[in-house]
Formats: sequence, structure tokens, C-alpha cells
Amino acid sequence: MNLSQIDLLAAVIAVLAVWMCGVTRVKTQVWGLVLQTTVLSGISVMLSLAGARIELIILAFVVFMIKAVAIPFFLYRAAKRISIVQDKGVSIGPTLSLMIGCGLLFIGYFLTPAFAVSSMMNQVSAGMSLALIFIGMLLMITRRLALSQVIGFLTMENGIFLYSLTQTHHMPILVEMGIVFEVLIGVLIAGVFIFRINRSFEHIDVTDMRRLRH
Amino acid sequence: MALLPFLMAILGLAPRSARRLPWIAAVLLLVQIPLVVWICLPAFLGSIISYGPFSIDGMGAAFTIITTLVAAAAMFQAALLLPAERAEGHAITDKRFCLFYTLSGLFILAMYAVPLARHIGYLWIAVEATTLMSAPLINYHHGKDSLEATWKYLLLCSVGIAFALFGTVLILAAQHSFTNGETMRLDDLIARAREMDPRLLRLGFIFCLLGYGTKAGIFPLHNWLPDAHSESPSPVSAMLSGALLNCALVAIWRLSQVVIAAGQGNLVRQLLVPAGAITVIAASLMLVRQHDLKRMLAYSSVEHVGLLTIAIGIGSGQLFILHAFNHSIVKVALFLMAGGIMHVYGTKDLSKLGSVLKKSPVWGLVLAAAGFAIAGSPPFGTFISEWLLLRNAFDSGAITATIIMVIGLTVTFIAIATHIGRLVFGNERNPARTLPVSSWAYAPALLLGVSLLAGLAVSPPVMRALTILANLGVK
Repeated sequence: MNLSQIDLLAAVIAVLAVWMCGVTRVKTQVWGLVLQTTVLSGISVMLSLAGARIELIILAFVVFMIKAVAIPFFLYRAAKRISIVQDKGVSIGPTLSLMIGCGLLFIGYFLTPAFAVSSMMNQVSAGMSLALIFIGMLLMITRRLALSQVIGFLTMENGIFLYSLTQTHHMPILVEMGIVFEVLIGVLIAGVFIFRINRSFEHIDVTDMRRLRH
Repeated sequence: MALLPFLMAILGLAPRSARRLPWIAAVLLLVQIPLVVWICLPAFLGSIISYGPFSIDGMGAAFTIITTLVAAAAMFQAALLLPAERAEGHAITDKRFCLFYTLSGLFILAMYAVPLARHIGYLWIAVEATTLMSAPLINYHHGKDSLEATWKYLLLCSVGIAFALFGTVLILAAQHSFTNGETMRLDDLIARAREMDPRLLRLGFIFCLLGYGTKAGIFPLHNWLPDAHSESPSPVSAMLSGALLNCALVAIWRLSQVVIAAGQGNLVRQLLVPAGAITVIAASLMLVRQHDLKRMLAYSSVEHVGLLTIAIGIGSGQLFILHAFNHSIVKVALFLMAGGIMHVYGTKDLSKLGSVLKKSPVWGLVLAAAGFAIAGSPPFGTFISEWLLLRNAFDSGAITATIIMVIGLTVTFIAIATHIGRLVFGNERNPARTLPVSSWAYAPALLLGVSLLAGLAVSPPVMRALTILANLGVK
């Protein structure tokens, strides 16, 4: 398999996600998210220049503004307002989490042939987006704070977006925009709940929310 | 069709109308029922009306009507229940009370969009919108428990829905050999299904099933369901159980149509029939040791989702519609009664409840009848649809699944009969705070009457009409 420039950038995003597995500072994680989305918008611009598809530039701009500026700004503010700094994993520490993240990256890479579209240029990107989805799930499962779970979810979304960019000819732009706005609203609603959890439990540690067991 | 729920959503933005709003909303949605039936009438007569990516086809018409019935009943009971609850001194501000109506209106709109979308992209957006609009509704009481349930719901369903999005993109990627670009319109997908890459199409369907299956509560992805259904206010529980679960299942039905058109019908069958059977048996076993009234009802919903999944798996659209209809109206009646009982006794702990019949014969009778109906006993509609489902599953060769279903249904019957029996005839530990008002049981009684009629009406001509309806829009 030859690595194209886009595959290389896709790999950069996946490696960023692996790096985020080992980070416990919430603010650094938010920066990781910003970097991921920025590179993703870059891929979108490159694809648009290569295939003369102007709508991808608009999409790249919207995605950048929402997922790399608005949402991280909101998360950053939220982290500051409820004064949280660190999120140590639930049962596994950052080192182990980092190693599992690496493992997931390899699994994603080896699953490339199953998920890649044969007629497309950037095959490895398919594996990388799969790795991003897996790592996003890992982040959601292993993190304690509600805020980090949102970051995990956004990583998953990035993986799906990467796949749709590199493996399909074109997704209807209206649908793509709908999805991006849906994610924005989702994060805002989740943010409201984070504040509320913080107020009624005096923390946002979801592992201590276990009253509903019957 | 969208007008009246939208009007309700707008009215909710004015907190000054808090006193009149419940009845305005109830009346709006009651007017909505004949309106929606009238709009959906062409589908019953065999023609499809399209508005861009949305169109009223057979499935769409059937589930829009079910959603409207459920929403109208829920809003009618909300008009009785919620103001009474506020008078009891629950700290709910006018603003939050009105927001409840705004969000309910938007939630109903999103639930209309799901069955009407004939475009897998808009289908996904609509399902996601239902999650986002309903999450704040579950947290209406702002208690710790409801907050926990809401977070669980929001998180698990978001992951699920992300999987469904990935599945949708995979189905798009499966069309890489199409020369004139990919399509997300259901009609084109079904027409050109055989040209798609079967490997990516299968993967896409599996991811969509995981995603929408989470939303529908198929075992073992049902984890959020009992919490969300038991912690939300009863009218919301009724809408979640009676309308939202159907929406997720309709999404699975739509995608299964594409896979079947591609000649991969075996995959649908092999995935959905076992998944449904396992859901039925698991839910029935969990029903046995429930000590919370609303959790019990929620697990019963999981069980019925299992049955509906089997109906989709054996490709029987008419039974899917029939059973969804029967389950929805009875389950809504039960959840609305549960709301009343919680108001009267101040608890939903089954071991502390009892002697409803002595307190109010009307409530007792309605509850007993609803219990029998949900457990699937004659002469209610649920009996007929469950029986037809068992027969069809057996005829189509899913013998193991049928046997598991029979065991599951038997266990369910015993469990529900025991729980509801104790509730109606047993002695209560907690004395009632107020006396039950008989008029609160009228709407559930009416729903049960509809279920009874549905049970008596099912006959070969009706089933033929339903078959035509289910296949309308499927080439």
C-alpha cells in the first residue's frame, strides 16, 4: 500500500488521538481535539483542490469553525468554570490507555482491506478512520469525567467524517452540514447537563453516579 | 401536519401562558389526530405523496398515525398530571414547565420526520434530533436519579447514533462503482441495490443495526432504556415507549429493505431473528424480579421491541405495523396509569403499592385490563398480533426463535400478572396520599378500548389491506 499525502495526514490525526489517550489534563485534550479537526479540515481543502470540488472548501470552513473553534472554546470555558484540571482514567491509568490506543491503531490499520473502497486513492485513510472511531470509544469508556467523554465522542465523529471524506465521492452537502450542526447542538446540550451534574453531585465524575441499579 | 406541534412549541416559549398551556397543547394534539389521518389517507388508498426527501408512504403513514395517537394521549394526560404535580409542591418553575411543552413539540416533529424520511441521510438526522430533543424532557424533575438517567441516555444513544452514521457512510461508500455519483435516496438505493459492493453494504447494515438498535433497546444494547423510561415524567415515558422505540425500528426496517433488495435477505434474517429472540427471553427474565412499577413497564417494552425485531427479521411489514400499533396504545395506557398511581401513592416501589381496586374501582379495572392486554391475552389486539407473529415466524422456518419466543411470552405473562395483580388486589404498605380521581383513568380506558377493537377487527381482509400498506413504496 502506498501512502499518499492524504493518508499521511490521516495517520497524523490517528496518532494525535493515540496521544490524547495518554493525556490526563482536560485542557490539553481539548487542544488535541483542535489539532485533529484542523488537520481534518486541511484534508478537506486538499481533496477539494485535487478534485475541483468547491463545496468541500465551504464544508471545511464550517467544520473548522464549529469543531475546531466553537466547540473547543465552549469545552475550555466549561472546564474553567467548573475548575477541573485532570482526569485520571477509571480503572486503567494513562500509560495503559496509551498502549491500548496504539493497539487500536494497529487493529484499524489491519482492518483497512475490509473497509477501504477499492477504487479510491487513499486506502489507508479508511483504516485510520476506523482507528479514530475505536480510540474515541476507548476515551469514552475509560474516562471518568463527563467532559472527557464528550471529547471521546467528538473523536469518534472525526473518524466518521474522515471516512466520508476519503472513501465516498460526495455526500450531499446539506446532509453533511446537518450532521455538523447536530453535533454542535449535541455538545451544547451535553454541556448544559455537565453543569447540572456538577451542581447536583458537586462533581462531574460519572463513576460515582450509580444510584440506578436494580 | 407539522403545524400544530410547531404551534405548541412556539406557545411554550411564552412562560406567561403556563396556566392555560397544558389544555391548549392537549386540544391542539387532539385536533391533530383527524388532521394526520386525513393527510395520510392517500397512502391507505395506494398513492405516495412526496415532499422532497420526505414522503408519506405506507410505513410512514402507519407510524405517523401511531405517533400522533401516542402524543395526543400523552399530552392529554400531561394536562391532568403535571399541574396536579406542581400543586403538590414539586419545585418546577413556570419557565421549565413551558420549556417542557416547547421540547415536546419539537420532539413530536422529529418523530414525524423519522418514518417519513425516504433518504438515509435525513433519516439519521431525524433520529439524532429525537435523541437531542428528548434528553432534556427526561430530566424534567431535575432530580439526581433523572440526571443520571439522562446522561446515560444521551451518552449511550450518541455512541449508538454515531455507529449508525458510520453505517450510513459505509452504505454510501458501497456505491463506488456508480458512475453518476452516489445516492442516499431510498428509492434509488432500492432500485440499484444489486450494483452495490456487497461487502461494504453488509458492514453498513451491521453498523446501522448496532446504532439504531441501541436506540430501539435491542438486548444487550438496552442498558439506558429502563433508566430513562422510569425516571422521566410519565407522559414522556409514554412517548418514549410508545413512539420513539417505533421510530428506531422503522429506521432498521428502511435499511433492511435496501439489503433485501440487494439479494442479501439472509443477512437481515440471520441478524434480526436471533437478536429479537434473545431480547424477548432476556427481557422476560428481567421482568420477573422487578420491584419498580415503571421499570417493569420499561422491560416489557424491551420485550416487545424483541418481538418487533423478529417481525422485521422475517420480513413481515404488516405484522410489524400491527404489533407496533397494539403495543404502543396499551403501553401508553399503562404508563399514563403509572403516572397517576405515582401521584396518588408518592412512590413507584411495587412492594409498597396495592389495593388500587379498593381505592377506585375504575382505576383497578383499567389497570387489570391493561395488564392482561400487555401480557398478550385475548381479546386484546396484542394477543392477535403476537399469535400471528408466532405463526409467521414458525412458518418461515425460524423454529428455535419461535420456541424461545413462546417461553419468553409465558414467563412475561406470569411476571406481569403477578406484579399487576398485587398492585390491584394486594394490600398497600404506603397509605395513599390522595384519593384517585376516576377521570384520570378515562384516557387509558379509551386507549384500551381501541386495543380491544383492534383485536376484534383483525381479519383476513384487514391483514390484506395492511400487507398492501406495508409494501407501498417498496419496489
